[in-house]
Amino acid sequence: MATTGQSVPQGHAAIPPQNDDPRTDAATRRRRASPWRILKPVQGQIRFAMAISAGSALFGLAVMVLLMGVVQRLLEAPDQVPWPWFAGVALCTVGAYVARLGAFNQAHYAAFRLERILREGLAGRLARVSLGYVETQGAGALAKVIHDDVKALHVFVADSTPLYARAYVTPVVTLVLLVALDLRLALVALAVLALGYGILTRAQRRRRDMVRAYNAAREKVSAAVVEYVQAMPVVRNFDSGKMSFGRYQAALDGYLAVMLDWYRAAGFPARFSWLVLSPMPTLTLVLGAGLWLTALGDLAPARWLGVLLLCTGMAESMMPMMMLRHMIEKVALSVARIEEVMAAPELDAGQGGAPAADPAAPALSFEGVTFSYGPDLAPALHEISFEVARGSVTALVGPSGAGKTTVARLIPRFWDVDAGRIALGGTDIRAMSTDALLQQVAFVFQESFLFADTIAANIRIGRPGASEAEVIAAARAAQAHGFIEALPQGYDTPVGERGVFLSGGQRQRIAIARALLQNRPILVLDEATAFADPENEAELIAALSALMRGRTVIMVAHRLATIRDADQILVFDRGRIAERGRHAELVAQGGLYARLWNNYETAQNWSLGGARSPAAVPNEEVA
Amino acid sequence: MQTLAKEPRADRPARRGATSFATTFRQLAESVGPEDAPGLRRTLAGLIAAAALQGFGLAAIAPLFTAAAVGEIRRALLWFAAMAALMAAASALRWWAQGFDFDGRMVRATWRLRGRLGAKLREIPLEQLQDKRAGELNAMVLGNVDENLLYALTVLNLVFTAIVTPLCAALGIVLFDWRLGLLLLLIFPAIVPLYRWRRPALGRGKRILGAAHQEASADVLEYTQGLAILRAAGRAGEKAERLSQTFRKLEAIQVFGHRKGAKPNIIVASVVELGLVAVLGVGVWLVVQGELHPAALGAVFVIVVRLSEPLSTFILYTAMLEVMEAALERIGALLAIRPLSQRAPEVMPRTHDIRFDDVSFSYAQAEVPTIRAFSAVLPERSLTALVGPSGCGKTTLTRLLLRHFDPQQGAVTIGGVDLRQIPAERLNSLVSVVFQDVYLFNDTVEANIRMGRPEATEAEVRAAAQAAQCLGFIERLPQGWQTPLGEIGGRLSGGERQRISIARALLKDAPIVVLDEPTAALDTESELAVQRALDALVARKTVIVIAHRLSTIVGADQILVIEDGALAQAGRHEALLAAGGRYARMWAAQGAVKHWTVAR
Repeated sequence: MATTGQSVPQGHAAIPPQNDDPRTDAATRRRRASPWRILKPVQGQIRFAMAISAGSALFGLAVMVLLMGVVQRLLEAPDQVPWPWFAGVALCTVGAYVARLGAFNQAHYAAFRLERILREGLAGRLARVSLGYVETQGAGALAKVIHDDVKALHVFVADSTPLYARAYVTPVVTLVLLVALDLRLALVALAVLALGYGILTRAQRRRRDMVRAYNAAREKVSAAVVEYVQAMPVVRNFDSGKMSFGRYQAALDGYLAVMLDWYRAAGFPARFSWLVLSPMPTLTLVLGAGLWLTALGDLAPARWLGVLLLCTGMAESMMPMMMLRHMIEKVALSVARIEEVMAAPELDAGQGGAPAADPAAPALSFEGVTFSYGPDLAPALHEISFEVARGSVTALVGPSGAGKTTVARLIPRFWDVDAGRIALGGTDIRAMSTDALLQQVAFVFQESFLFADTIAANIRIGRPGASEAEVIAAARAAQAHGFIEALPQGYDTPVGERGVFLSGGQRQRIAIARALLQNRPILVLDEATAFADPENEAELIAALSALMRGRTVIMVAHRLATIRDADQILVFDRGRIAERGRHAELVAQGGLYARLWNNYETAQNWSLGGARSPAAVPNEEVA
Repeated sequence: MQTLAKEPRADRPARRGATSFATTFRQLAESVGPEDAPGLRRTLAGLIAAAALQGFGLAAIAPLFTAAAVGEIRRALLWFAAMAALMAAASALRWWAQGFDFDGRMVRATWRLRGRLGAKLREIPLEQLQDKRAGELNAMVLGNVDENLLYALTVLNLVFTAIVTPLCAALGIVLFDWRLGLLLLLIFPAIVPLYRWRRPALGRGKRILGAAHQEASADVLEYTQGLAILRAAGRAGEKAERLSQTFRKLEAIQVFGHRKGAKPNIIVASVVELGLVAVLGVGVWLVVQGELHPAALGAVFVIVVRLSEPLSTFILYTAMLEVMEAALERIGALLAIRPLSQRAPEVMPRTHDIRFDDVSFSYAQAEVPTIRAFSAVLPERSLTALVGPSGCGKTTLTRLLLRHFDPQQGAVTIGGVDLRQIPAERLNSLVSVVFQDVYLFNDTVEANIRMGRPEATEAEVRAAAQAAQCLGFIERLPQGWQTPLGEIGGRLSGGERQRISIARALLKDAPIVVLDEPTAALDTESELAVQRALDALVARKTVIVIAHRLSTIVGADQILVIEDGALAQAGRHEALLAAGGRYARMWAAQGAVKHWTVAR
């Protein structure tokens, strides 16, 4: 027996769609994304699935008509089995569910294929956009787009598309059949449907505002919970219980108010239309009307039966649409985010190779570089000009936010400059191909990143062709050989996801070994020692010394003591170079650098509670 | 909704659907609380009764239609009246029962439950709280309460309609024609064993798919995080190729899992649908035998078509039910966590010297103890520094003092009183902590400082801010003291944030101060100001400081050198240097670093 439709579980009419994603719906506001557009790569298969699904719906309706035929035959000749009709019923039943499952399967395979295609496309895109884009978006957020947002499409692509076909085909064909069977009863069924939908529309009237209020309230609760939970040690130590719990409670109250408001506004119509659109009222009214017409002798039992079999199909196949609408709104957010990443501008890579060997040109030069992070933001760098001689060490110092790190990140083209140019050996970096640029420069960042692979493989990323001896030599120079050898599997030890099995200093030394193996003439260090634990610091510093030997170095530094002997110190202040020179000169000048140096020295000599009078302590010294 | 249905927790063991029902109800009743549990019970009874009435109402179609077809209009009218009455009663009952949702009682119940869960979070041992990631808890408290309780009645209503209604309709048909009724009774329950047969496979498939997704997700994150390195190494394309392989593998697993599920789907559908066709076939045979009126058979068609619809989605509903059960279980588990026990009698210490007495402690999942037979005395108003390699147990010692957990052996005392005898609120009032990671709340600057002591006067708040070197930058903020930190928190430097947290501790003025590496990861300029703020904070207090940079603690009254959770050395800086042990080696290593420059 074919069913009239495999509906999605019908949700609560009064409850808005949930948007669990704390990321705002800014993406949708920017561009109303249609989920249908994203189906393009698998369009053919989806259309096929929808066609089969429509076929299944038609089979289902055919079963109803044939059942009516069976009864009609039996009424005419009660002693004869109406074989053709009955066989038709069996056949169409099988046809309906086979087609239904077939459509379901096709849509799923298409969905799986689409997921892969989109993920590959996104990953490929990220390999070509500017690293600045990756950094501003955040690696985690981009990973979420590639994995979670693409996954979120599944419900729409795999489950909804066949239902869509059914939701359009069934009501139309049903109505035609009903009218053909008996116009009066068809009108009764239609009237109930119209009444239900009329009320439902009223329930949906303020929907958009409601959804917005709902999502905002939810987000507030979510933020309050995160704050409350993350800060629990602080909450317990400082907050006697009122403040943070109060904010959590206030967020809950806000949410409750929105929900109650929702029920007040939409509760009755939603509840009422739900009742009207359920099969029972239609069935009862068609039975009553049919009984009346039968009493008048104006209705054949078989036709009445046909109407009874078909009349609930319209509402039933359309109800999932209400659910689908919620679903599609939710999916649209994911689609918008996917499309946004796909539309991220690619870095126009130059075609040029390595810079021409111009021995006169400086290794690196900034020429009147101005740069800002966004069109409406104040420039982060104003007309910065400096040159770095081959084999020299240049230190970038200054208060936080002065532009040091921006300078370091413009060299590998995380972003492109707004004005001026950056040249390597006299060649504009924008004229070089990405590969050529990167073959000139090695980077060691504040936080070193390791891949979930073996230690050897992580070092070898620097130069895939390197021999084992070269890898070991690099590790030795980076002061990493000792601890690597001590590991159970030595160089073949897996470092765990993002290097979790190693300490910060150990990870950093592996990153330095990687850079050593790369053996590139220019080295950019961005606070390479910032997060090292003190026990490892000595080794880390020895590793850095090995790395810097014989290279042109540009380093961002906070510990001013380490750069006392730098060839050139550039002191940044609010996006400009305020002072430049060597340590001794700058200290003598008595300007910004002198002040920074003075602060630094004072901080270095501070000892906690220096002004206190010592207390007597009874603990015995332990051996 | 459907996402939920498709992804119940993969980690849940398969359970018998029948036995879990009572459990689910009990948990649901617990979740809505004693205020609404009776109402909920009545509501569920109402929904079941409505489903039953609907079933009997449907069964009434058979005699009604038969009577009409043979021209017995009067009898048909009677049946119609009965049927309409049953349907109306079913609708009215359901309308009434759904009032639990629509009158906002359910929303209020979840609101209350969340309040309860929030209050619970404040008293469960922090060790257990910090085991779980904040996100998971967030999902638990927020997401689950919502999706599980707000949808509970909707889902249960659907399940009742899928089970109770067909059952009652079949029973009704038994009264009308026992042979057809019995056949229907055989077909409808057949879905239950079919469902049980499918369920372990569904769970298995979901687990495999879940694992594949997890792997892909980790690979994607590694790719995006490592993109800078990969690009710098010129190997982004290659890694992208590897990522592609992961995606292809995921697709293969998805397709494989779906194929495996497709065959049983066909079998289940065949059994149910062909079974119903067979019942109709028997009906036709009965008609031909002259034992059943054709019109009666037609009416049975109508009823069966009506019933097969909810049946075909039955499995989907049970999956949703399963998600709900899992969430209720987690809520119940959270509510069942006991707070750390309070020993009688309650005592409030009068002095504030701290003593660790032969303390040993291991974390719940750890194989080796983190703290081993640790004893130390910290006299009132002394400054004690804890030093040692990372992971040696320094932070665990301070957490023991804050009673984030209790030691398995030994005791920690303040003023001679075991921490377990001090009420939690009072203990918190005795100790201030300045953490390395500063947490500022989404409130104004003033509120963030004032939370240290809500009843403080404006002058006191100001004085604390001044002593913590905050006054200057606070007054430069756009709205001064009233600037909300939620919007601006990111724009404050690490040092400024740290100084606000110190002002908070200053205002609280607790006799004991714990400093957990408060100057790590600050830039030089901030460091200077933070140092001044700290000097103000530690005056006249019993202080414990964890320090990496040894030069900052040379003035400590005692330095405790900790190695592998045990006390290795103790004494003043000079004495320890003279002793020439572990501390002296650490000091020498840090001295060398201090003099390193970039010169070659």
